Amino acid sequence: MKRIIGIALALALAAFAAGCGTNPDNGGSTDGGGTGELTGKISFLEKWPDPQYKVIFDKIVADYIAAHPGVEIDHQAVGDQPIKDQLRVLTSADELPDIFFAWPGDFAKKFIRGGFAADLSEYLNGTEWGDSLAESALGAYKYDGKYYGIPINMNAKVFAYSKSAFSKAGVQPPTNYEELLASCEPLKASGYTPIAFGNQYGWPAIHYITQLNAEYVAADVRNADYDPAGGAFVDPGYEKALQTFKDLIDKCSKPGSNGISHETAQAELTNGKAGMQYVEVLEFVSLTNTETVPESWLNDWDFFAFPPIAGAAGTPGAITGAPDGFLVNGKSQNIALAVDFLKFMTSKDNAALIVKDIGWPSPVAGSAELAQATPEVQKAVTMMSAAPEMAIWLDTETHAEVAQAYLAGVESLLNQDLTPAQVMDSVRAAAAKVKAENS
Amino acid sequence: MKPNTVRRTVGYLWILPALLLLLVFVYYPIVENFRLSVYKWNAFQPEPKFVGLGNYERVLADPVFWTSIGNNVGYAVVSVVFQVGIALILAAVLEGVVAPRLRGFLRTIYFIPATISITIVGLLFRIIYQPDGLFNSFLALLGVHSTTAWLGERETAIWSVIAMSQWQNLGYTTMLFVVAIQRIPREFYDAAAVDGAGPVRSFFAVTVPMVREMTTLLMIVTISGAFLVFNEIMATTAGSPGNSSQVLGTWLYQSAFKNDDMGYAAVVAVVIFVITFTAALLQLGYGRLRRVEQ
Repeated sequence: MKRIIGIALALALAAFAAGCGTNPDNGGSTDGGGTGELTGKISFLEKWPDPQYKVIFDKIVADYIAAHPGVEIDHQAVGDQPIKDQLRVLTSADELPDIFFAWPGDFAKKFIRGGFAADLSEYLNGTEWGDSLAESALGAYKYDGKYYGIPINMNAKVFAYSKSAFSKAGVQPPTNYEELLASCEPLKASGYTPIAFGNQYGWPAIHYITQLNAEYVAADVRNADYDPAGGAFVDPGYEKALQTFKDLIDKCSKPGSNGISHETAQAELTNGKAGMQYVEVLEFVSLTNTETVPESWLNDWDFFAFPPIAGAAGTPGAITGAPDGFLVNGKSQNIALAVDFLKFMTSKDNAALIVKDIGWPSPVAGSAELAQATPEVQKAVTMMSAAPEMAIWLDTETHAEVAQAYLAGVESLLNQDLTPAQVMDSVRAAAAKVKAENS
Repeated sequence: MKPNTVRRTVGYLWILPALLLLLVFVYYPIVENFRLSVYKWNAFQPEPKFVGLGNYERVLADPVFWTSIGNNVGYAVVSVVFQVGIALILAAVLEGVVAPRLRGFLRTIYFIPATISITIVGLLFRIIYQPDGLFNSFLALLGVHSTTAWLGERETAIWSVIAMSQWQNLGYTTMLFVVAIQRIPREFYDAAAVDGAGPVRSFFAVTVPMVREMTTLLMIVTISGAFLVFNEIMATTAGSPGNSSQVLGTWLYQSAFKNDDMGYAAVVAVVIFVITFTAALLQLGYGRLRRVEQ
């Protein structure tokens, strides 16, 4: 018993100490001071802890502090998956940082609905800063006509392909979906896996479904369904999207994709064993990393957008993708300072630094030219600008329960455990539950 | 005031800080969890909504909850067989049959997996279990040609994680049995040998009864552990595919932090509490019984 009490005591003390350590000090004040000089302490949480990205954010933070001696910034970086949980934990503990990362869509809207995101419209409407940011990226964080988020990059899904594999198989980058499907046989015959696909994390399949829903379902129907208060999901296009995805993967990819990671599939592509992979533009930095990618790949790749499906009821030419961005905590004591820091982060010089050093397409006007971005990034920016619609990731655009129903359902679809109709039954059940709670 | 009363009061004062910490950090969260299980709430909703036993009804009607319970039971059964049954046999073989010089080497080999962090083990097995991974290559050597994605298929995912867990923990429980066996007086084995008992008979007549306490302890620890399992799943499948490898711990986590359904998650926590509390009661009861017997 003595030992149990001892252990409990130690745990309690550890929890107490940890609690003390994580309690952010928002005690600093924003002091206009009559001179416009900002002072105080803000916390900043982003999702890029990898050294190649972190060094950029570290530099921006350090530069801002150097220019504002009275400012302290508590900068934390947490990975892509854990940040989803960390933000919820911090929210429930009322310890949300002053500036935090949020995906656009319902992921960000949850914070907005709960009053955890500040309305930034007054800083953006008709201001030089607001005008410098691409409306397509800013609009992803627009809710009820108000701007809540500051985009840091622009992202889209494209097929990266091996030029030599396509040439050996005698196929061209497809201009429509039928051509994409038809390219699989010749690629297979030439010894390639036509489409490298690893769905161990669930989201790679969801990105296909985002695209196919945009192709098959009209934008107004989709928007109503993706809204937690709407969610009917009765349009036949949803089932068609699932069926098309399944047919494509069955025909063009290796079996067992649920057990293969996205990175393993990507290695197959860069090592010359696969023809193409559906990747994010932000992944170009990995595709051109000279330390991890064979030299033979570096000059052998290009990309094309998901080819349109003839006669589908959705938005032809829509591209899956959304910017990444930051929200400002609506309950922060230092909103003005937080906004000023974000303004600094998205200045033309800093945006150019991001484009140049990590190859992210930027929403900041003129930054690509200033940074002399790679031809691939410039081509991606042109492609995104020309797209009639950017379809936000389904797993962040919809309510978490609908997203989970889609994630689990599509995994089961790939394993032949569920049919498209059964997947949609589970999505509808989740949507009905969410709708009941939100209406 | 009488000296006895003073002494007693001072005694209570001494234990007061520990008692307070226990109340705040152990008992209060348990009671609070029961209270929250009758509310519908999440991190983004300022006011929890009272739903009575609604969350309990939803949990009981949820197929994923039952899949999770089934997976936990499977985990417990396999873990008891390997980490108690087979570990005991392995320990007896190590101590009774294997040459002393080889023993130390084999003990180290068996124990090494237990020293590796679960995150690394998870990453390792995610690679090993890929369709063209090491495990399928090993099967090919045995003449079985498989392209199974062991962690990616509904039928195999949870069993593959359970197998990984046995690989990691078998050596640890074996070592605990080795220590227990070493404490058995040699005379018992000599007496059994004089009575004509062979190694198998000695194992059942001497080893098994003499390590009974360790066996019981490990049974309870293994079963409780199987119902608290979390890291092994998160480091490999995270409950996929199609929630087929969820266990109570991961389903609680997903309900709370991915589905934003804290009340539902609190009910899952209640279920885990009831199961592990029952295991602890059994342990206490058995301990008391043993003391009475002695």
